Amino acid sequence: MELTLLWAVLTAFGAAYLTLRLRQIDVPTRPLDRLIGAAVVGMFAGRLAAILQAGINPMLNPGQLILIRGGVDTLWASLGGFAALAWPLRHNLRALDNLAPAALAALGGWHAGCVWRSTCLGSVSELPWAWALPGSDLTRHPVEIYAAIGFASGAFLFAQLSLPPGMVTGLAVSWAALTRLLTEPMRPSVGGGPVAFYVVAALAGVALSAWSNQRSETRTASP
Amino acid sequence: MRRLALAASLFVVVAACSSSTSAEPQTPELPVIDLAGFEQLLADLDRPAVVNVWASWCLPCRAEAPLLQRAHAEFGDRVEFIGIDYNDSQRGARLFLDEFDLPFQHYFDQPGEVIASLGGFGVPRTYFFAIGGELIKTHNGVIDEQTLALQIDELLNR
Repeated sequence: MELTLLWAVLTAFGAAYLTLRLRQIDVPTRPLDRLIGAAVVGMFAGRLAAILQAGINPMLNPGQLILIRGGVDTLWASLGGFAALAWPLRHNLRALDNLAPAALAALGGWHAGCVWRSTCLGSVSELPWAWALPGSDLTRHPVEIYAAIGFASGAFLFAQLSLPPGMVTGLAVSWAALTRLLTEPMRPSVGGGPVAFYVVAALAGVALSAWSNQRSETRTASP
Repeated sequence: MRRLALAASLFVVVAACSSSTSAEPQTPELPVIDLAGFEQLLADLDRPAVVNVWASWCLPCRAEAPLLQRAHAEFGDRVEFIGIDYNDSQRGARLFLDEFDLPFQHYFDQPGEVIASLGGFGVPRTYFFAIGGELIKTHNGVIDEQTLALQIDELLNR
């Protein structure tokens, strides 16, 4: 049985758990459960979108929903996961901000899980830290390690910031989208990744941050 | 609770009624291949090959089929895609190919003679061959987009 995907999930879980343990955060109830719930919702939303796009009827093939390795649509997985995390906390943006670094750390852990799955490598490169597939002379960018470092540094950075409610969440969304956007040209894919979505998500994150800042200033200014 | 039970019953009825296994398959019979024929096939190719082992009864093969379809559309002019139907019936295989448009050559290897010689385990399974027929990589289980694209890139850059 092939368990590499499970190891990648456990790495993501471990990264989120450590981030939450290392920080004294103010999240109403069970922050880890919220992150896991959001990941599950995102995964199923992405899988459902992927099988519908492939022309597979989920009513006739319900088993396809759990075959995550068959492909997950990034756009719907991201939207589903974010909605599941943000909607219950929409009236408590400070709590959402506190969860954002752990969510980034989980994404970093997921990408670092490429080590278990042997899927770290991307386009051909002759940089000193590039490495090759077993039995090959071609060295390649460890693109998923780049992504993991990007997410981890975002988690570290946003854990230090104290900004108006909602602003860290917006910046974290932008950071995640930019991390994926910058690594996408090095990532092997069939037909290219959802680059337009990453651009929109990065801009949406900035817009959310700007709105949060504006809202905070308005509240501070009002008597 | 009653609503949930009603919805579940409806789901089962719709799923059962929608099955079209009685239809006559449109895809022609798959040519039977043995080890000698397969080796000759690879030797005659002037480009690398991706060989996918599937079966109509294999649920993960259904999950994988749309990706192979897209990969063939993108790389089919530079890489030869070959399907091997294993431990299956001709009728089941033809119905599978009716359902999933996989526009490359498929062969019938009911006893598994070819894949037994190539190694690996389980279905689906994907083999990557360099020009001349050298086996470069065996992937057991459902292949994901990144692994497939990476291995094809590896074949094309050798």
